[in-house]
Amino acid sequence: MASPGNDATTTPSIDDAVTDNNLQPFFVLQKGSLRKSERNLSGAVKTRRKIDLSSASPKASEDVEDEREEENMKLRMEAFEIVWSKVESTIKDVLRDINTSVFREIQNWVHESFNTIKSLGTPDFPEATQSFPIVRDANSKKLFTGLVFTQNMEYVDDLLTFEELGKHLKSRGCHVANLSSLDFTTKNGIGGCLRSLLRQFLMSTPDVTDMSILASWYGEQNYANPVVVVIDDIERCSGSVLSDFILTLSEWVVKIPVILIMGVATTLDTMRNKLASNALQHLCPYEFTLGIPAERMDAIVKAVLLKPCSGFTIGHKVAVFMRNYFVSQDGTLTSFIRALKVACSLHFYVEPLSVILRECVLEEDNWESGIEKNGLSPELMLKYAYDLPSCQSDEMTDQTSESLAQAFSELKRLQNEWRAVVLCLHEAGKGGKVRLLDLYCEASDPESYNKRKAELDKDPDLPPTGPILIKGNAISEAIRLVRDLSTVQLGKLISIWESLTTGTEVYHRVFALKLLLKMEDGKSSKKDSTVTSK
Amino acid sequence: MAREESSPVTRRTTRSYSTSNNGVESTKPIEFYKPTLQDLGFRQPPLSFEDLLSNFPGRRAQILELLRLLGPLNSPMFPILVYGGPSTGKTSVTLQLLFHRKNSGNSYSSSKRCEKPSDFVNYLREALESVIENLKGNLGKSSSKSSEQPNGTMIYLVFDNLELVRKWDKSSTILPFLFNLSDILKMPEVGIIFISNTSPDTFYSNMGYMEPITLYFPDYTEDDLRQIFMANQSNRKLYSSFLDVVLRPFCRVTRRVDELSAAFSLLFKMYSEPLSDKEAALNEEMKRRLFSQLQPRIASVLNETFQVPSQPLLRAKSIQESMKKCSSKMPGIHEDHDKMDFHMSTSAKYLLISAFLASKNPATLDASLFDSFGGSDGRKRKRKASEKSREQKEMAEQELLMKGPGTFPLERLLAIFQCITSLAEDPFDEEGSHDLTIEGGSSGLMSDVLLQLSSLCNANFIIKGGSCPLEGSTRYRTAVSEELALKVARSLKFPLSKYLYRR
Repeated sequence: MASPGNDATTTPSIDDAVTDNNLQPFFVLQKGSLRKSERNLSGAVKTRRKIDLSSASPKASEDVEDEREEENMKLRMEAFEIVWSKVESTIKDVLRDINTSVFREIQNWVHESFNTIKSLGTPDFPEATQSFPIVRDANSKKLFTGLVFTQNMEYVDDLLTFEELGKHLKSRGCHVANLSSLDFTTKNGIGGCLRSLLRQFLMSTPDVTDMSILASWYGEQNYANPVVVVIDDIERCSGSVLSDFILTLSEWVVKIPVILIMGVATTLDTMRNKLASNALQHLCPYEFTLGIPAERMDAIVKAVLLKPCSGFTIGHKVAVFMRNYFVSQDGTLTSFIRALKVACSLHFYVEPLSVILRECVLEEDNWESGIEKNGLSPELMLKYAYDLPSCQSDEMTDQTSESLAQAFSELKRLQNEWRAVVLCLHEAGKGGKVRLLDLYCEASDPESYNKRKAELDKDPDLPPTGPILIKGNAISEAIRLVRDLSTVQLGKLISIWESLTTGTEVYHRVFALKLLLKMEDGKSSKKDSTVTSK
Repeated sequence: MAREESSPVTRRTTRSYSTSNNGVESTKPIEFYKPTLQDLGFRQPPLSFEDLLSNFPGRRAQILELLRLLGPLNSPMFPILVYGGPSTGKTSVTLQLLFHRKNSGNSYSSSKRCEKPSDFVNYLREALESVIENLKGNLGKSSSKSSEQPNGTMIYLVFDNLELVRKWDKSSTILPFLFNLSDILKMPEVGIIFISNTSPDTFYSNMGYMEPITLYFPDYTEDDLRQIFMANQSNRKLYSSFLDVVLRPFCRVTRRVDELSAAFSLLFKMYSEPLSDKEAALNEEMKRRLFSQLQPRIASVLNETFQVPSQPLLRAKSIQESMKKCSSKMPGIHEDHDKMDFHMSTSAKYLLISAFLASKNPATLDASLFDSFGGSDGRKRKRKASEKSREQKEMAEQELLMKGPGTFPLERLLAIFQCITSLAEDPFDEEGSHDLTIEGGSSGLMSDVLLQLSSLCNANFIIKGGSCPLEGSTRYRTAVSEELALKVARSLKFPLSKYLYRR
């Protein structure tokens, strides 16, 4: 996070150049991938607006205007930095939280296995540092191995995960070395990975790579802590080198209690195919499973887009594009986050009013009052604001800053309402694996809203049935799930909804629903009314 | 990675011993090791000959032979090559014998493990230098004491895992050198012992050298194995009844002690689980009950141990529980068949399927399978197959099976990919608005294919082969099992079996 004390007007000019340079590639990239996608500053409540660069640039080519434009751009880029760093840190926290339970499980297992190894006995020093005598009993040559299933074919997302895992274990007193598949190449042979191991444990690279060096190092550590070797992705390791490595470690395991943790991206079959059987037989595996990518994605979407985070959201089309890319093309969170960043930077680049988001991040409460300080002249800002198509269509008459401020707070309120409802839907759809990202895409679709509005315009007394119950639709799927719930489950769901909607208008409806449920075991025809309120 | 272990059993004290053939009993057995560590090679004080024999059940003949070859203490010897299958006690016996021979003041001066030939050469040189130095020292000492020639200081160089040397680049020169070592050194004090997994024939080369005396360690017999496993058991009765059950079926599969003991330790846990009082006397009825409980699990362990012993206990337990619930399922099959175990993007799935098809189907069939009619009735010609042609066809099928998955160039893969993605129903048509389908539909699937291909290669699903010498283009091959391919196809609702040749 950038420090909040940074005043907007005192930015050095070098910064300007830097941001300009930084931004340019993003802009180009954006053009390539999301062609004419539209952004909406105002969330889904207002209608979308087209990007109109010409309206943003001042028509009169006066120097003052130019300067002001430049100034404004600088501020916007600053705001971008602030907003993005907020988003980024949120994502990081979310990802860390999602893994905590697995990490704790792994850590417990590591200590348990260490105790098991210790119970076999501790060799004395000269004994422990030589490769002979060799261990004869096959059971004490067992190498405890944690197989961490990442559940994603692409390994990019999990590089960070394994790094974090290493840090986590280190903080719990283990000696940790993170090896990657690059250490297990046939070119370098087993010497390569041993060298990397020694480098990480001993903090120096000896000329000779020998396990006895490691053993004597471990002897200096008083045999107190487990040695954990984390291997990122065994899919890309060379099988023969890995097998040799395992054989070597297993011979030494009594002397150096090594515990292996291996990331498996696909299935257990990989292990069978990769490793030689005599190496496999030394493994004593345990299995850990990380969350599937879709779950992580939901967590990110929830934290970044649906919980009040930065004020920056993505519109329908961008969301759909990103979703489709995630599902059908890439499937990594990394590229999703990158796309989010691109969208964010473009938003700040083209939208003159985007600078307001800065205040949104820095001081959540006085959102409106901060408008004056952000470098835009009030008139210009009003002009921009009332150029937004939503304002044009709503025929607001008085173009004053008061009404603008009012509009902002109204917008914020509506956004909160909307978010609460989407989260409620997600909660309802959890049992049926309805993905939050799908819900988000659908719920932010302006067309369904327009359709609904048109229907209501035609016939205002239309009963509040479900919006558009297309089969396979995420929203209708969620609603269907609610209909199938038993009374007890429904009661539970409603109490969750209550906590989700606290402070919003929808809360009253949920509350009413709760009362209704208490009075009679009535079914959930009312639920749909909450849905339509979007 | 070969292990070169030079164990110059040098004696610094020049105490003369009334040395006989065997039974060199050390006068002061020093406890080198903590007794808790029951699994290291030689924690015991030097053994008597009887202990030695009883320590290695079934190795009596080999021990005697080896002792004979080693000769009396500190006498010159010819090079020996000890060989036999893995886990037959070669290394242990050899080292134990040397230990048996050596005296309390001695220890391994160095034991090295080397990964590279160059390391090996260095270690060898070091070892030889130290040998010479030791000898010099000893000779100096011995000359001062003016006794007979080599003064009873034998130095043994033991080369374990010799078969690994063959894989090295320079093995053709190193091996004859090693075998010739004793000739080159011309030092009767140096005894050389090679230990290898493979028979001496595999080391044969044209270079002339004196062949070492060979000593074969055969696989253990069932009785030997029983003795070995009974050796350190606390509850002998229970364990022996356990061995009655398991030893015979397992012996048919393997006789390697290490494999067996890994399997048995797991099974024994299962076996003795129902017993509340482990020390209670076993009656016949109890045995029968235990046996009936264990029997269904033996088969799975038999399979697992020798293919994939990596079955996590936790998971195994949960499987057992789930198996109890639905007993109709086969044991050992634990994957949920309808669910993919991991996430893959849609286009990667299609690419995987097309690679699978490209590997399994002959290229000549592509046109008929993927023509514009969708391949549902591509082949019309149904000539009556004569006996002979059917035979030929069977031969061809056999051949196809033996050859494994075929290779294919990138172009073919992409062509198939395009066909099946355009044929497959648009996966995004459930998306509400129309313009989305255009953006994210099958046309969109094509965009990042090469990226997907590289990640499939990374995950070992597609193997990038060498380039074809004639065409010069890189060829690919799938390593996907049919099971996985079907699973992927099912998750896409893609009719894979329709496109598979001979299905």
